[in-house]
Amino acid sequence: MQFSFDVILHNLPYMLGAARFTLLISITGIALAIVLGTFICAARIGRSRVLRVLSGLYISAFRGVPLLVQLLLFYYMLPRIGLDLPAMPAAILAVGMCSAAYVAEIQRSALQSIPSGQTEAAEALGISPFALWRRILIPQALRLGLPSLINELILLVKVSSLASVVGIGELTRVAQNITGQTYRPLEIYITAALIYFVINFTLSQLGRYAERRLALT
Amino acid sequence: MEFDLFLRYGPDLLKGFGITLLCWIIGSAGGAALGFVIACLMRWSAAPVRWVLGAYIELIRGTPFMIQLFLLYYGGPYMGLVLTPVQAGITSFIVYGSPYFAEIFRSGFQAIPPGQIEAARAIGISEFTILRRIMLPQTLVLITAPLTNFVIILSKETAILSVVTVPELLFQTQTMAAETFTYVEPFLALSLFYWLLVVLTAELGRRIEIRATRHLKRAASST
Amino acid sequence: MKAIITAATLALTAAVGLSQATPAQADLLADIRERGTITAATEMHYAPFDMLKDGEYQGIGRDLFDAVAKELGVKVEYIDLPWSSILPGLEAGKFDIVNAPVTMTAERMSRYHFTLPIGNATVALAKRAGNDAITKPEDIAGLAVGSQKGSAQLEQLKKFSEKLGEPATVREYVNIDEALADLAAGRIQAVANSMPLMGYATVQRPELFALVEPPFGDPKYFGWVARGDDETASLIEAVNAALLKLHEDGTLAAINEKWLGANPELPTEMPAVE
Repeated sequence: MQFSFDVILHNLPYMLGAARFTLLISITGIALAIVLGTFICAARIGRSRVLRVLSGLYISAFRGVPLLVQLLLFYYMLPRIGLDLPAMPAAILAVGMCSAAYVAEIQRSALQSIPSGQTEAAEALGISPFALWRRILIPQALRLGLPSLINELILLVKVSSLASVVGIGELTRVAQNITGQTYRPLEIYITAALIYFVINFTLSQLGRYAERRLALT
Repeated sequence: MEFDLFLRYGPDLLKGFGITLLCWIIGSAGGAALGFVIACLMRWSAAPVRWVLGAYIELIRGTPFMIQLFLLYYGGPYMGLVLTPVQAGITSFIVYGSPYFAEIFRSGFQAIPPGQIEAARAIGISEFTILRRIMLPQTLVLITAPLTNFVIILSKETAILSVVTVPELLFQTQTMAAETFTYVEPFLALSLFYWLLVVLTAELGRRIEIRATRHLKRAASST
Repeated sequence: MKAIITAATLALTAAVGLSQATPAQADLLADIRERGTITAATEMHYAPFDMLKDGEYQGIGRDLFDAVAKELGVKVEYIDLPWSSILPGLEAGKFDIVNAPVTMTAERMSRYHFTLPIGNATVALAKRAGNDAITKPEDIAGLAVGSQKGSAQLEQLKKFSEKLGEPATVREYVNIDEALADLAAGRIQAVANSMPLMGYATVQRPELFALVEPPFGDPKYFGWVARGDDETASLIEAVNAALLKLHEDGTLAAINEKWLGANPELPTEMPAVE
C-alpha cells in the first residue's frame, strides 16, 4: 500500500471546512442538551406527577428511537404539520433533544446519589431552599455527574455526523464523499479521525479542568 | 404501508436483530469489564501506566467508532492482521466502549469521600474488600443511570458493524430499503426493534437502581 | 408497559404520517418554472456520475443535469444526501428530482417515475492490478466476489455466478467503497458493479485495481427518479424531451467522452425491464 500524504494535504482544507459544521452542530447541540436536559431532570424528580410521567416518556422516546429516524422525522415529517425547518436547525434540534434525554438521566443520578441526610440537615438548620440548591446540591451534583456528562457530550460530537441525512456536509459525510472519488479511504478516514480527536480532546480537557475546580479538597 | 413486506423480510430482519443482540451483549459486557480494569488501574497503579491508559482513553473516546472499525478491518491486513467481520466487529466494539465505561467507573470511585477509605485502611480492611464492600455499593447509586445510558447508546452503535458486512439489523433494513425502494416500512421495523432493546435495558437499569438506593431510603426514613 | 404502548402508538402515528401523500400540487413542472429553480438531490458518491471533487460537485450527472436544466430554462440547486434520506426527502417534497444514477428495475418503476436512461448500468468486474488469474468474467468461478447489497448489479452477479461450474462466493457490502477496500486488502478477488463506476475506479487507482472486460449479464440502465404521483408526469416528459435533444446535438456524447473516455449507446426510449 502506498500511503499518500498528498491526498491528505490536498483534501485537508475541504475537510476542515466541513468540520466547521460539525463544530457548529456540536456546540449549539451541547448547549441545548444541557439546558433542556436540566429542565427534564427537574421535571423527572419534581413533585408534579404529570411532569414526572411526561419527562419519563420523553426520555423513553428519545433514547428509544434511533437518532437517524428522529432526524428523518424532524426534517421530513414536520413540514406536513406546517413546521418546515431548514436543515441546520432541524439537525441541531434533533441532536440536542436526543442528547438531552441522556443528560437528564446523568443529572438525576448525580442528584439522587447525594445522601438525603444533607437536605434534611440543611432544612433543620433553616437554610433556604434556594441556598440549599445553589450551595449544596448543584455543586455536588455537577462534580459527581461531570465525567458521565463529558462522555455524553463527546458522543454528541460524534453523532453529529448523522446530520448528513438532512443534507449537511459535515466532516464524516465529506470524508466519505472524498473517499468515493479518491478511492483512498485509509488516508481520508485517519485525517477525519484526527480532526474529531482534536475537538473531543479539547472537550475532555475542559471537563478535567472543571473537575479539578470542583474537586473535594 | 405494505404489510406483506414485513412478511417477506421478516426472517432476515429477525436474523439481523439476533446478530445485533449478540454483538451488543458481548460488546457491552466486554467493554464494561475492560473499562472496569482500566478504571482500577488508573486508581491504583504507577504514574507511567496511568499516562498510557489516559492516552488510550482520550484516543479511543475521541475518534468515531466507524473509523476505528474501518481502519481495523480494512487497514489491518496491511499489517498482517486479517480478521473476519464478526471478529473485527466485536473486538473493536469492546475496545470502543471501554474508555466510556472506565470514565463512568472513575466518577463512581471519586464520589466516595476519601475519609471513608482512609478510615477503612486504618482499621486494616484489605484493598479488595474496600473496593467490594465500601466503594462498589455506594458507587452503584451514581453510576447505574450513566451505565444504562451508555449501554443504550452502544445498542445503536451496533448499526456501524454493517460497514464491515456484519449482517446486523441496519444491514438487513438497508437491504430491504434498497431492494424494494421503500423507507417507511424498514425504518419502522428498525425503530421498533431498537425500542424493544431500550425499554428492556431501561427497565433493568431501573431495578438495579432501586436495589442500589435502598440504603439511602432506609437511612432517610429512619431519621 | 404503558410507556411501551404509548411509544408504539407514537411510532405508528409517525409512520402513517410518513406514508401519506404529499400535499396536492397541480403540476410540478409549472411550480418549478414559476420558482425558476429545480432542486435535485444525489449522493455525491458515485464517481464518475456524481462526486465531490476539490470541494465541488462534479461528474456526468452534474454536467448532464446542468444541460437539461438549461433546456428547461431554470437554474439548478443540488443537494447531497445519503441514500437513507433520498426517498423520504423526495416524498416530502424537499427536492424535485433525484439525479443520482439509479438502476431501473421493475419493482422500483412500480413505485417511482424514471426518466430516460442516462447511463449504462450493466455489470463489470474490477480485480486487483496484476492478478492474471482473472482475465474474463467467467474466471471468478470459485472466488470471493463483492458487490453492493440491494443493488441490481448484485442480482446480476448472483445470476451469473450460478451458471458457472463452481459458483463464486458473493459477499455483500453496504457501500461499494468498502467492497473496493476489501479488494485492496485481499479478502475478495473481484468487485462487481456497474461498468462506468468500476471503469472510473480502475482509472483512478491503476496501481491497485484493473477492469475485467467485457461486462456481463443483462443490459441495465441508470435513470433519474421523480415521485410516483401524477404531478411529476409533465416534469418527466420535459426532462425526457431535453435528454433527447442532448442525444441529437451531441452534448450527451461529449459529456460521456469527457468523463468516461467512451460513448456508451443509450436507448432513446424506455427500455423494457423485468
